Amino acid sequence: MSAFKPILTEHIHKKDCHTLSFYRSVGGYTALEKVLALDPDAVIEEVKASNLRGRGGAGFPTGVKWGFIPRGSEQPKYLINNADESEPGTFKDRLLMNKTPHQMLEGMIIASYAINCQKAFIYIRGEFYKEYEVLNQIVAEAYHENLLGKGILGSDYNLDVVIHRGAGAYICGEETGLIESLEGKRGWPRIKPPFPAIEGYLKCPTVVNNVETLCNLPHIFNHGPNWFRAIGSEKGPGPKLYCVSGCVNSPGVFEEPMGVPLKELIFEHAGGIRNGNELKGVFPGGSSSAILNAEEAMGVKMDFDSLEEIKSMLGSAGIIVMDDKVDMVQACLNIARFYAHESCGQCTPCREGTTWLVKILTRMVNGDGTERDIDMIYEITDNIGGLIDFSQGSFGKTICPFGEAVAWPVRSFVEKFEDEFRSYIPQLEPVA
Amino acid sequence: MSMNGTPKPPFTFDDKDRVSNILSQYPDKQSALLPLLHLAQSQEGYISSAVIDTVSEIVGCHPALVMDCVSFYTMLYSKPCGRHIIQVCQTLSCSLNGADALVDHVKDKCGIESGETTDDNCFTLMKVECLGSCGTAPVVQINEEYHEGLSQDEFDQLLESLQ
Amino acid sequence: MPLLKIDDAEFMVEKGTTVLQAALANGIEIPHYCYHPALEIVGSCRMCLVKVEGMPKLQVSCNTVVSDTPPERKIDGKYDMVVNTQDEIVQQERKNILEFLLLNHPLDCPVCDQAGECFLQDYAFRYGNAHSRFEEEKRVNPNELLGSQIVINHNRCILCSRCVRFTREISGTNELFVEERGYRSKIAALDDKPLDNQLAGNVADICPVGALLSTDYIHKNRIWNLQEQSSVCQDCSVGCNVDVFYQKDQIFRLTPRENHDVNGYFMCDIGRYGFHRFEEIERVTLPLVKSDGNFTESSWEEAIVKTAEELTNAGAKSAGVASPFHTNEANFILGRLMDGNIGTLPAVTDEEVIYPSGFRISADRSPNQRGMNDVCPSIVEDFASTIEGKDIRFIYILDDGIDRKLDDRWKELLEKVGFVVVQSYAMTDMAKYADIVLPGEAPFEREGTITNDAGRVQWLRPSITSKGEARPDWKIPMLIQSKCTGVEAMSDVSAVMNEMGKEFPIYAGITFFRLGDQGLPLNGKGEM
Repeated sequence: MSAFKPILTEHIHKKDCHTLSFYRSVGGYTALEKVLALDPDAVIEEVKASNLRGRGGAGFPTGVKWGFIPRGSEQPKYLINNADESEPGTFKDRLLMNKTPHQMLEGMIIASYAINCQKAFIYIRGEFYKEYEVLNQIVAEAYHENLLGKGILGSDYNLDVVIHRGAGAYICGEETGLIESLEGKRGWPRIKPPFPAIEGYLKCPTVVNNVETLCNLPHIFNHGPNWFRAIGSEKGPGPKLYCVSGCVNSPGVFEEPMGVPLKELIFEHAGGIRNGNELKGVFPGGSSSAILNAEEAMGVKMDFDSLEEIKSMLGSAGIIVMDDKVDMVQACLNIARFYAHESCGQCTPCREGTTWLVKILTRMVNGDGTERDIDMIYEITDNIGGLIDFSQGSFGKTICPFGEAVAWPVRSFVEKFEDEFRSYIPQLEPVA
Repeated sequence: MSMNGTPKPPFTFDDKDRVSNILSQYPDKQSALLPLLHLAQSQEGYISSAVIDTVSEIVGCHPALVMDCVSFYTMLYSKPCGRHIIQVCQTLSCSLNGADALVDHVKDKCGIESGETTDDNCFTLMKVECLGSCGTAPVVQINEEYHEGLSQDEFDQLLESLQ
Repeated sequence: MPLLKIDDAEFMVEKGTTVLQAALANGIEIPHYCYHPALEIVGSCRMCLVKVEGMPKLQVSCNTVVSDTPPERKIDGKYDMVVNTQDEIVQQERKNILEFLLLNHPLDCPVCDQAGECFLQDYAFRYGNAHSRFEEEKRVNPNELLGSQIVINHNRCILCSRCVRFTREISGTNELFVEERGYRSKIAALDDKPLDNQLAGNVADICPVGALLSTDYIHKNRIWNLQEQSSVCQDCSVGCNVDVFYQKDQIFRLTPRENHDVNGYFMCDIGRYGFHRFEEIERVTLPLVKSDGNFTESSWEEAIVKTAEELTNAGAKSAGVASPFHTNEANFILGRLMDGNIGTLPAVTDEEVIYPSGFRISADRSPNQRGMNDVCPSIVEDFASTIEGKDIRFIYILDDGIDRKLDDRWKELLEKVGFVVVQSYAMTDMAKYADIVLPGEAPFEREGTITNDAGRVQWLRPSITSKGEARPDWKIPMLIQSKCTGVEAMSDVSAVMNEMGKEFPIYAGITFFRLGDQGLPLNGKGEM
């Protein structure tokens, strides 16, 4: 195991680590003090210099995203902390909210300051009730200690934070679906343009950042962008939380630099494959990434570029491990069913295609598969989400990336474990 | 939805202060829709048509827009449920860790299928998709609480404590 | 202005125009479902995808604004944007989308009312595959009434959400919503808040498939059996442009016709279903002369001679009643006949309705108050008071028709008048007081011009023929005048329009040809 010392999760095993007094005892809110002395544009420049990329799944550079917010417009600006963690295999934001919520809040205040936002929201997944209560408590603490409200820490900067619970919809993790949901509507993603930075919440300029992304900010300002850039992969640096679940001995959230070998996460941090079984397949970046076979998994580094090279993605870094006892057709059906259940229903290919896939896979699992089914799965997934090959450029078939999110994993299951899918197709007895 | 001819008693929020507090947090009224529906459901157990009417009046939108939302989000129930809503996660990591067997066990124990409520109105069973607790699979949510890494025996004990 | 190239054609387009708008405006078809020019763009059907040069992904043309490219980056040195709607990948994508849309669609075109004007049928034929590859069980939901006159066939619905957006953006009534999500999504209304606003019928028009249907038209006929006439609605003074669909002498439906100076894309249900009220009425098809309290049929010649005689005898002690339900031409000729000695009945009014989109139902429920006043400048509004107590020996009434409720004051008045002529298409309350009833045309039989309350002159075209020996409403007073004066009657309504233009300059130069199907503002912007 590497000698990396966790940054975001350094203190999560300590008593009362979620409290303000604890957070302050380990240097909490000192970054905010520095930030409040800077010009907001300088704050954005620092974050751009750090090359922090979003940790929600898409990996967009955070400073660049902030830079899209129009300067000098009279409209209110909004920051939304995307705490709607719902990608299967992903459970890092929940940990961060439970254990180091002030780290997240400090990041939120910094981000809000940078974009001149006076009202920020935490859109927390509705099921996370315990975490919602933690947030209520720490936001109250922050108001009490003048970290929120009027004239924060003696500056002339004001910020209110509203905690908003979702109500059960994976699609609200997509930033425009989230904004619609916050506006009191169904979480149907919006067609872009306009992008949220121009027309977001209530048609005002809006930035949506993920919990983990925000947690990085205090450290960038405490140690400087050069320090941050030196951690892990060059093109997407920084500490990263990796969630490992599935068929491993010790599932959990592990912090390592960007670019840590996947093998190390599975076999060292997560204690290897359970029951001495063999590794068979891995989702490296949540269930929306293309599945890797054992060979790919053993060789890949966990960063944006390395995974893209082998036609998968870092996504949310939700690693789901499958061993050689797992029936890949059943696993594929499980994932397809998830997406069919969560499809918002707005775009034609996703609404109709996801359930079509489930129907075919269900029929196969029930022993009624036909020769044509495998080709149909390839075609349907291509028609919902396009080809996995980034260079082919025929993706973008739906308003939001959900189309790709269902197409890529399902297609890759069939591609990489085609024999197993074929074994489900009843063979006609040769006529004697 | 209302039955023809039977007037429904109107719904009123018990905690009026909470309602005004919620409304005061948002720049517009309709943004308060989800929090108000959560609050109403915690009081009423589900989103009745009376709740829809009241909430739509408070946020100033047509009841159909409220129903649009209610029907979209899985956590908002448009039918009454049991006192304890048992939600068993079915998605991959839980499934790889015994969720399928666990849900069969819950069905046996409670004598209901997914989507059903026990006759004594004690339990409602729902098979749900990823609860975001994959590292401690299988996970079962009962009302607001997560029960992680739950074995069948542990479930039985839990069930007993709830009855 | 950006220069856009679509396939082999190029056009200059206004800044901010989308590729789809530019294509449609220039007669290039890009198939689409969710896009409707009056509604917000959602880009969800994915049917209008096109290839845009320089962009790696296909783009939905409905949400792709034609870019204004800096000179150094113009394509081929001149184009701001180059779009391909015929590329193989675009054609394949259309096939894919149609396949998804048709997965659960029933094969019921033979019994579907939309057949013949269905975009699913048309596009599937033009762009789709011949066979379905879907072998699973179809999603089936029973039909439901969304309101008293709109039924939804869920199985045909393609979830384009036009109808939902209509109730949110145009009528502002919000009754419709999408229920559930994903594959289970369906269009719904709450049981206790059905789709019963006065614009509801439009959702059936804007539905691109056979999912939303007006109960008024279900299984009544097939579109290919019907003839279509563009005309103008006569149920309020807005004058919505309509298409009248009819077979022989029966009207089957009215749908709104696009006119951005009048009604946009829509019409109200009062006008839409209003034609039914003329179906069952007892028509007057021959001149009727009253003797001993009973009407007996007479010839036109006899009736005209008699009327001319009575008018001549009454001399100055005669009066005419013009009608805002009649054309400018009929009122104009009546005004001449009565030598300006003319008045009208109280306006027929109801509640004015203005929708958030600006769509309006006028309080004035007659179609031509404005035009009647224009061509009868000496008209007296409270005519009852004017003629009450006067010695009126002859009155000629252009009857408002079945929409006029006759009040007691007028009944008393008419009883006192020596000779009452009523020109009408039915035995109305008014006609019952007549000494002579002269049979005219009913609303869908009339031809001429009407002027809406915004001062727009529109061509009212007949869709069905008049009944029996009924004659055009402008012609009847003209024949009487001809009988009185010996001046030859004009032969057609265009001649009347020409004459009218000479007397009233704001109507000068207005011809049917110039009016076309969009009408014209009155000369001098409608002001005298």
